[in-house]
Amino acid sequence: MKLDLKVKIAGVELANPLMTASGCCGYGEELADIFPLSKLGALVSKSITLNPRLGHPPPRTAETTSGMLNAIGLANVGIDKFVTDKIPFLKKQKTKIIVNVAGSKLEEYVEVCSRLNDIECVDMIELNISCPNVDEGGMEFGADPIMTEKSLKAVKKVFNRPVIAKLSPNVTSIVQIAKAAEQGGADAFSVINTLLGMVVDAETWHTKITNNKGGLSGPAIKPVALQMVHAVYSNSSLPIIGIGGIRSTSDVIEFLLCGATAVQIGTGLFIDPMLIVKIEKELKQYMKRKKCNSIYDLIGKVRKY
Amino acid sequence: MIKPTCEDTFLLKKRNLKNDYFSFTFKPYVPVKKCKPGHFLQLQLPNSDVYFRRPFSIASVDSNGSIEIIFKIFGEGTVLLANLAKGDKVNLLGPLGVPFKFPKKNEQTIIIAGGVGFPPLMYLAVEMIAKGHDPKSIHFFYGGRTTDDIIEKTRLNKLGVNFYPVTEDGSFGVKGLVTKPVEEFIKSSNSNMRIFSCGPTGMLKAADAIGLKYNIPGQLSLEAPMPCGFGICLGCVKEKTDGTHARVCCDGPVFEIGEIII
Ligand SMILES: Cc1cc2nc3c(=O)[nH]c(=O)nc-3n(C[C@H](O)[C@H](O)[C@H](O)COP(=O)(O)O)c2cc1C
Ligand code: FES
Repeated sequence: MKLDLKVKIAGVELANPLMTASGCCGYGEELADIFPLSKLGALVSKSITLNPRLGHPPPRTAETTSGMLNAIGLANVGIDKFVTDKIPFLKKQKTKIIVNVAGSKLEEYVEVCSRLNDIECVDMIELNISCPNVDEGGMEFGADPIMTEKSLKAVKKVFNRPVIAKLSPNVTSIVQIAKAAEQGGADAFSVINTLLGMVVDAETWHTKITNNKGGLSGPAIKPVALQMVHAVYSNSSLPIIGIGGIRSTSDVIEFLLCGATAVQIGTGLFIDPMLIVKIEKELKQYMKRKKCNSIYDLIGKVRKY
Repeated sequence: MIKPTCEDTFLLKKRNLKNDYFSFTFKPYVPVKKCKPGHFLQLQLPNSDVYFRRPFSIASVDSNGSIEIIFKIFGEGTVLLANLAKGDKVNLLGPLGVPFKFPKKNEQTIIIAGGVGFPPLMYLAVEMIAKGHDPKSIHFFYGGRTTDDIIEKTRLNKLGVNFYPVTEDGSFGVKGLVTKPVEEFIKSSNSNMRIFSCGPTGMLKAADAIGLKYNIPGQLSLEAPMPCGFGICLGCVKEKTDGTHARVCCDGPVFEIGEIII
C-alpha cells in the first residue's frame, strides 16, 4: 500500500492533517507569499464577525516563557469585506477553506454562517465559542453547555456543510461541553483555544497588554491540549482537530496518538513560517520508519499505563 | 511587497563596536539584491525558550552576498544574540516591511537618528549617495545620551555627509537634544526638505511634531514587539491618526509623518 497523509473530517477529505490555526494566518495572503497554500490540509481564517472589529488597543501581545499571551480582541474585516475582498483570493487556493466565525450574540453567529452558506468555496465552518478576548459572547457561549448546544443547533440550521466546534480549555469539564456541542449537531471538535493568562512587569508593576488578561498559546500549553484532546477522544466518536503549541513533527504525532485526526498550528508559524511544509516532509519520513501507511494507523494509538 | 524567504546563514563577522553595541555580518545571504534601506529581518534565536524571533533593521548589504545588523544589548534576546560565535548558524526571515522612499535629488535630507535607530538611516545615506545624491545634501543629526551612544563615527564621516552629533551630557558634539539643532537648521534653510527619523519614542515624537509644524514631509521608522513580523498575527499594530490600526511589520515599519499616533 502507498503511504498516504489523507484524512477525512466530517466527510471532507484533506490532503494532509496539517492546518493553520485561526488568527495565526490572517486570511492566507501573507503565507501564500512564502509557500503554496496547497501544502496545507486546510486553511482556517481569522475569526469573522458580523461587523468589522478593530480589536483591543496596542500593546496586545506579550512574550512568555515558551509561548505568548494575546488579546487581539477579534480584530477582523467583518463578513461583508471578507466576502468581497478575501473570498476571491481564497477561492483560488488549492486547499480546503475553513472559516472561523465569532460573535457576541447568537443572532450574529447565525447571520454570518448563513452568509457563508452561499459561498461555495467555504468547505467548513469553525465556530469560535471559546475566545477569551471579548467581554461578551465568545467564551461565554462555550463555557455553558446549554448555550453551546443552542448555538450549534442554530448554526447547523443555516449552514449545510460541516460545523466544527472550537472548544475552550477555560472550563471545568471540556468533555461536558463537547457532549453538548455534539448534541447540538457539531460535526467535529477543535481542541483547544488559548488558556486565560496574565503577564506582569515586576519593574513597572504594570500588566503588559491593555486588556490586562489574554490567551496563552505556544509550547507552554501543549501538555494541557494533549490531555484535553485525549479526554474528548475517549468520550466522543466525532473527529478532533488538535491545537496547542505545535512546533515540530513529533508534536503533531503526539496529538494524533492522543486521538486527533488533524492538527492546527498557530503560534508556531510566527517563529517558522515554513513549519507546515517542513512537518509535511518529516511526517512522511516518520511514517515510513514506523511502517505506517496511513495517518489512521496513529490516531488514538497512545499506549497508556 | 517583496516575498520574504527563510534562509539559514552563518555569522561571518562579529564586532563589538562600543560597550553594548555590536555589529554582526551574516553570509551567505542570497536575497541581498532585494534589500532596501528600511527593510528589516526577523532573526531566530538559538534558544527556543525565548520564543519570538527578533526584528533587526538592515544596516548594510554587500553585493558579495553578506548582510549586516547592528544592535545594542537590551533584554533577553539580545543577550543570547551577543553570545553567538563566529560560524554559528542563524535563520533569517526577510527582507520584511516597507522601505524608505528616497527623497528627490534637489531636496535637502534631514536625518534624525538615535540609539539603535542609527543603522537603517546609515544604510539610507549610503544608498542615496550610491544613487547619485550629493553627500552634502544629507544632514545627519545623530543624538545619544553620552558619547558612548554615538557609534560608527568614522563610517559616517567617510560618507562625506554633514554630521551633527548631539549628546544630552555634552560629552560629544552639541549638548542637549537633537531637536534643537534640527529646528535651527530648518529655520535657516529655504530649500525643499525631507525628514527621515528612527530612534527612541521621544525622538520620533519630536521628529513627527517638527515635520508637522514646519510642513516638511518625511518618514519615520517605528518599532513594536513583533510576534510574527510578516503580517499574520495583528500583534504589532499602532493607532493611526485616522482612527484605524496599522501593522508596524508590513504596513510599516516606515510610515509618513503625521500618519501614526506616536
Ligand atoms: C495572535 C493570536 C490570535 C488568535 N486569534 C484567534 C481567533 O481569531 N479565533 C480563534 O478561534 N482562535 C484564535 N487564536 C487561537 C489559536 O487559533 C489557537 O487555538 C491557539 O493559539 C493555540 O495554538 P498554538 O499554540 O499553536 O498557537 C489566536 C491565537 C493567537 C496567538
Ligand atoms: S508582527 Fe505579526 S502582524 Fe506584525
